[in-house]
Amino acid sequence: MNTLNDQQLDELQKDLDAIRDEVVADLGERDANHIRGMVRLHRKLEVAGRVMMPFGFIPPVFLAATASLGLAKILENMEIGHNVMHGQYDWMNDPSLNSQTYEWDTACSSESWRRTHNFEHHTYTNVIGKDRDYGYAVLRLSDDEAWRPRHTFQILNYAVLSILFQWGVALHELEAEKLSYGKSHLKEKRPFLRVAAKKAGRQAFKDYVFFPALTLPVAPIVVAGNAGANLIRNLWSSTVIFCGHFTQDAETFTEEQAEGESKGHWYLRQLTGSSNFTGGKWLHIMSGHLSFQIEHHVFPDLPAHRYPEISEKVQAVCRKHGIHYNTGSFGKQYSTVLKRILRYSLPERFTQRPAVA
Amino acid sequence: MLAKLTPSKAAHWLGRQLLNRDDPAAFFDPLTTAINPMWVQQYTPARVERITAETADTKTFELKPAHRWGGFKAGQHVNVRIDIDGVRRTRTFSLSSPPARWHREGRVTLTIKRLPGGRVTNWLHDELKTGDVIGLTEAFGDFSIPEDKKPVLFIAGGSGITPILSQLETMALENYPGPITLLYYVRTQNNVIGKEKLDALHSRYPAFSLNIITTDEGSAPRYLNDQDLDSISDLTAREIFLCGPKGLMDLASDKLRQRGLNDEQLHSTFFAPPAPAQLSSSATGGEVTFSTSHLTVDSKGDANLLEIAEAAGLTPQHGCRMGICHQCTCTKTSGTVVNRLTGQVSGAGSESVQLCISIPQGPVALEV
Repeated sequence: MNTLNDQQLDELQKDLDAIRDEVVADLGERDANHIRGMVRLHRKLEVAGRVMMPFGFIPPVFLAATASLGLAKILENMEIGHNVMHGQYDWMNDPSLNSQTYEWDTACSSESWRRTHNFEHHTYTNVIGKDRDYGYAVLRLSDDEAWRPRHTFQILNYAVLSILFQWGVALHELEAEKLSYGKSHLKEKRPFLRVAAKKAGRQAFKDYVFFPALTLPVAPIVVAGNAGANLIRNLWSSTVIFCGHFTQDAETFTEEQAEGESKGHWYLRQLTGSSNFTGGKWLHIMSGHLSFQIEHHVFPDLPAHRYPEISEKVQAVCRKHGIHYNTGSFGKQYSTVLKRILRYSLPERFTQRPAVA
Repeated sequence: MLAKLTPSKAAHWLGRQLLNRDDPAAFFDPLTTAINPMWVQQYTPARVERITAETADTKTFELKPAHRWGGFKAGQHVNVRIDIDGVRRTRTFSLSSPPARWHREGRVTLTIKRLPGGRVTNWLHDELKTGDVIGLTEAFGDFSIPEDKKPVLFIAGGSGITPILSQLETMALENYPGPITLLYYVRTQNNVIGKEKLDALHSRYPAFSLNIITTDEGSAPRYLNDQDLDSISDLTAREIFLCGPKGLMDLASDKLRQRGLNDEQLHSTFFAPPAPAQLSSSATGGEVTFSTSHLTVDSKGDANLLEIAEAAGLTPQHGCRMGICHQCTCTKTSGTVVNRLTGQVSGAGSESVQLCISIPQGPVALEV
């Protein structure tokens, strides 16, 4: 981690706060139009997907329906749900875009996600042992965790996690790893499990029971298309999220480093623990602007479509303070994620580069 | 409170299952409003059909609400919902037309005065155009014409005349037996709202006597005085309706109480924050827990729950900030709060509270 002294950290905080204040003062109709436009597009994609799906016995229609529903789920989860639940649009005073009441189209309940993501992950970003998003308790992604034989084939775990990503996120709060070590008991998790089962049940019901039953003669096609749409969403969101924190240069922190930190230090940790990828407007929108993970972690409650325009300023602040701004093409960033997963599959003695003299 | 279709149990269940929301119809609002804003389900849309100037700073907006709107009783008000620069704003206004007109033509009017510095009233005056669609809630309020046909005295000041215009027209249509007297205080003759309507009512409805009093046209201000009240026959037998600025309402109710009128005979309605009720207990403030947001903050003094939430960085839904519109109502799960308007202390258990007028009295937990 970059070492800045207290005075430098204070200055870093002031610089970033200034960027934030400028955006907050300018919030208005443009932001409202953006999110409402996204909601409209989501409705069109979802309606189109659901309507076309029963005609999926015609192969091109099947592809179009699956893609449309998959894109709808991606857009709703990433650019709408994730950002709304961060409180980015609470200032609009619109009950349908309120962070506390929004419920998104994925297996994880909003309530659980607000605890594990908004609070845990965004507060303790990349603090090993505290940020349970780091490796999702199944992957070893840094030296801070000791190697165990089970890590050897973790690339397979990664593949399974990506395919079933929404279920992984839904059960995140269960803290299965702690249960297996006997650090916590299933009994304490009952209230969570009740809510989780209800939400997950609904999600499964609509895609695998209700809509197929509605179109009975072609039910298997509808089941397959809906599963396909969920799979597309799972793979994409997992990939975007892995690119956000597990690239080569994304730093990790120890609990001691994060203890009693100042706001400036918290900012520094967000800047160095996150990573961006570059791309066009729609790549950013389909990522929920998590392609600007650095800006998102520094300003989680600013409307995400503002990240591209403030990125230059954030980069200037990084240059000023000598902080590495971790970005690159999507392909490049993703390849370093895969390398990281593979590298930490093995104990250090196999992967350690020769020490620089 | 929002006027929307109450989904049937099955629709509600399906909405939760399929769309993660209670009102399945509103899921399609973003699409349908783009086609026709009158098709929105989340609230009752109302199209602006005509805008007429009443005085230099007051306009009457003629609206045609969607058919499903539940109608109103004379003297009631509605919340108007508009978006100004991306932010949803809610304000309460009286309906100034009689319910009969709604039944006959499906139209209602709101008569709105520009408030100096007012964000919403100025926007309505300057930006709202014929053909635009705004949101309405169902009507509410109990400023209603007496059912037992007792004699009535209206005391109105300035734009406080608006609910009374609706009542007077309704009484004329019903042939309310009377006597009915209106004492209407305005700054100058140019500030009389609904002048033509009042004159017309006066000439065709013998039970109605009209007394317009200008306060600012003499050498000294001319407020409500004892002569005004002396001129009213059987004053003590009347039901009295007060609507206007706080000064006038306080003065009138003091004088009326002195003359032996009891509180049951006095009906008042207001659109400005009334004086805070005396908070009997000094022990206000305390730890406030916002359970949905996983946040606990300390509060001191008589800050209301909405202010406390906002100071803590939360942005709960809200509207008028003065206890009228109920947009900020939410569930208090434990603790007691004092209602700033009534001075009443709540129970300790789970109940609905209005954030903007509730002051914590010791530790309070809210579903916010």
